[in-house]
Amino acid sequence: MDFELEWTPEQEAFRAEARAWIEANVPSIPDHPDPANLTREEYELQREFGRRLGAKGWLYPTMPAEYGGGGLSMELAMALEEELDRYNMPLPPYYDTGGKLGGIAILVWGTEEQKAHFLPMILRGEIRTWQLLTEPESGSDLASVRTTAIRDGDEYVVNGTKIFVGSSHGAEYSWMIVVTDPDAPRHENLGWLMMPMDLPGITVEQMDLLFVGGERGAASGIKNTVYFDNVRVPAFNLVGGEGNGWKVAGTHLEIEHGLLRSAVRDDPLTERVFDYARNAKRGGRPLLEDQDVRDRLVDFYIDAEVTRLLHFRNYAWRGQGKQLTYEGAQAYLYQKRGQLSKARAVLDVMGPQALVEAPDEWAVADGHVEVHQRGAIVDQHPGGTAEIQRVIIARRLGIGRDVREEPGRLR
Amino acid sequence: MDLLLNEQQRMLQSTIQDLLRRDFSKEMLVAIDAGTVDVAQGWPALASTGLLGSLVPEEHGGVGGSFSDAGVLFEELGRGPVPGAHFSSGVFAALVLQECGSADQQSAHLPAIASGDAVFAVAVTEPEYGWERGDVQATAERTPDGYTLSGVKLHVPDALEATHFLVAARTGGESVGLFIVPSDAPGVACRTLPGLSTGLGEVLLDGVAIGEDALLGGASDGWDAFERAMLRATAVLSAYQVGGLESVFQMCLEYSRTRRQFQQPIGRFQRVQDHIIDIVNHLDAARWTTYEALWKLDTGRPAESGVHMAAALASEGYYLACNAAHDVHAGVGIVREYGLTLHTRMSRTLYHHLGSPRYHRRRLAGALGLQPGLS
Repeated sequence: MDFELEWTPEQEAFRAEARAWIEANVPSIPDHPDPANLTREEYELQREFGRRLGAKGWLYPTMPAEYGGGGLSMELAMALEEELDRYNMPLPPYYDTGGKLGGIAILVWGTEEQKAHFLPMILRGEIRTWQLLTEPESGSDLASVRTTAIRDGDEYVVNGTKIFVGSSHGAEYSWMIVVTDPDAPRHENLGWLMMPMDLPGITVEQMDLLFVGGERGAASGIKNTVYFDNVRVPAFNLVGGEGNGWKVAGTHLEIEHGLLRSAVRDDPLTERVFDYARNAKRGGRPLLEDQDVRDRLVDFYIDAEVTRLLHFRNYAWRGQGKQLTYEGAQAYLYQKRGQLSKARAVLDVMGPQALVEAPDEWAVADGHVEVHQRGAIVDQHPGGTAEIQRVIIARRLGIGRDVREEPGRLR
Repeated sequence: MDLLLNEQQRMLQSTIQDLLRRDFSKEMLVAIDAGTVDVAQGWPALASTGLLGSLVPEEHGGVGGSFSDAGVLFEELGRGPVPGAHFSSGVFAALVLQECGSADQQSAHLPAIASGDAVFAVAVTEPEYGWERGDVQATAERTPDGYTLSGVKLHVPDALEATHFLVAARTGGESVGLFIVPSDAPGVACRTLPGLSTGLGEVLLDGVAIGEDALLGGASDGWDAFERAMLRATAVLSAYQVGGLESVFQMCLEYSRTRRQFQQPIGRFQRVQDHIIDIVNHLDAARWTTYEALWKLDTGRPAESGVHMAAALASEGYYLACNAAHDVHAGVGIVREYGLTLHTRMSRTLYHHLGSPRYHRRRLAGALGLQPGLS
């Protein structure tokens, strides 16, 4: 086994090329502990950088080159991500569910015409795409969605409400699951639509939430409610055919359930918390003299490390062509539960100062700690609750069943 | 980046699996547990595979394999769990001899360890149990031609099987030396402790006279070197516990499908599922931290924090997984012949071996620089 990449001279040459290009092109955007504070101007800078990456195939480096991806190996993609990470810049550099989730569903289930139409604009960064899944009455039971898309000539007419959608600063497209046949049996009644967001009848309204996180630098910041009122969308935009929406969703849900992490990084929160502990005092004495504090910091560290290793295992095995079954949901469950126990360890160690928001002078680590206290709670639900991850693990392991559930199609 | 076993490791794995099927069937392991078959009876089979020399250099008759290779072997042994002195002698003592012993001592003893002709057990812990230097109270008094050892060594694994002990004793002040003591030396008395633990013994040292050449490395203080060896051995012990965890997980999975209550397999109940999911999470947390720690040892990376983390997770995980497995199995789980209690006993026995989870967590804090005054 080898827990690190060994770089060949060719790969090192690519890394050097990437480093030089990034240095010449990367925009300077301040670090926002709360991504809700990303300004419109900063977002436009991210998009412009995304288009430049996209023109080189580097926005979604492992997607097929014929559709605008980079066609690069996992190793080269990792080198690229590491170089971007030096600027605290993830890939893609803004919230976009087009290339990593929706785009793969299109790649697996779309017709040649659909792939040729939708994929290049996603992969080149010409559009930013949101995902529209959850509804007011459909959370864990996603297949029970009620938003309808009824065929009318060459169009579908869409009516309904989606919640917990997207980010700040809008999107050009969304993908969504909808009911195409209200009379068909469960799981056979759904369709999967690419929805242009500038169509008449679409209303986007910001939700008021405790926090909205995501990958640093590309976190969504806010979530919205999206209303569809007789929105007419071309029938061409239905991917996978009528009645197959649940299967198409199986592809992106498979990835969202724990396979979304790409290059594996150390969690920067760990160093922030350790730094605090090394410098803080209680009763005039160093905080680290307290054995309980040291024990809680070790709890924190172990949660972070196990989460990192399980994601790393999944990333490596995917790259090595090993079929994953329960491992995605397992890593995701560990990540979710790990965030909560880490948040409690931090609260134990720091006391109420962990709850002070930036830019207040008492905020710890420029507010990153307080944001984590909120984010740990919020992270329990997206992509399926912890309980849903447990259901997936049980089915995939075959607990109590002789036939193990098959994973969603990824190719 | 490669998280699959290599060709050679897959061969090692299949060799040892063949051995287990042939010589350590569940019936055999249950019989050893019940005391109707002597654990020593399995020793020739273990010795025949060469696994006792896995970490012994080729020049001393071993295989000179990597820690990851040893991890593959001991993970399979842990699945049994196969009891006996394979770890104590082939891993722990072999590493202590390499780290602390002189060239002469190594060539005198390592070949016999590798072949299985000698069985070494490591006698460090005492009634005031612990794995720190200060926990060693036994004494080594200087005599004109050697030393006299006195003290009580307690919870020593595989004591009754051992032909030799590596004994830690105070040589003066805070200094702790390591001594090679034949188990048949006058003044040495051993017995196995009764109870839930398995294979742990008491070793009484009553004025045991040994020669000057019994002191490892001729060093009146060998404790730091001993700790280096202990750290490496710990990673292999974690692999053994990972094997145990894997076995417990498989037992529960199988039982969840075959045991029916309320007209359905019990694995259909989410409360039962949750126990098994907790087990697989303990398993994979222990597994991947252990594999990474072994890889760090093999590649010369700083491994201290990785080994301590893996050890804490493997010991805690094995213990808790057995608890969860008993929840899944209820009454059936405590029937000896079913086999689960082999793991339950082993998980308790190994919980403190080479340091408790608390010891490893506190060492981890030190390795991470979380000590006052280190900022």
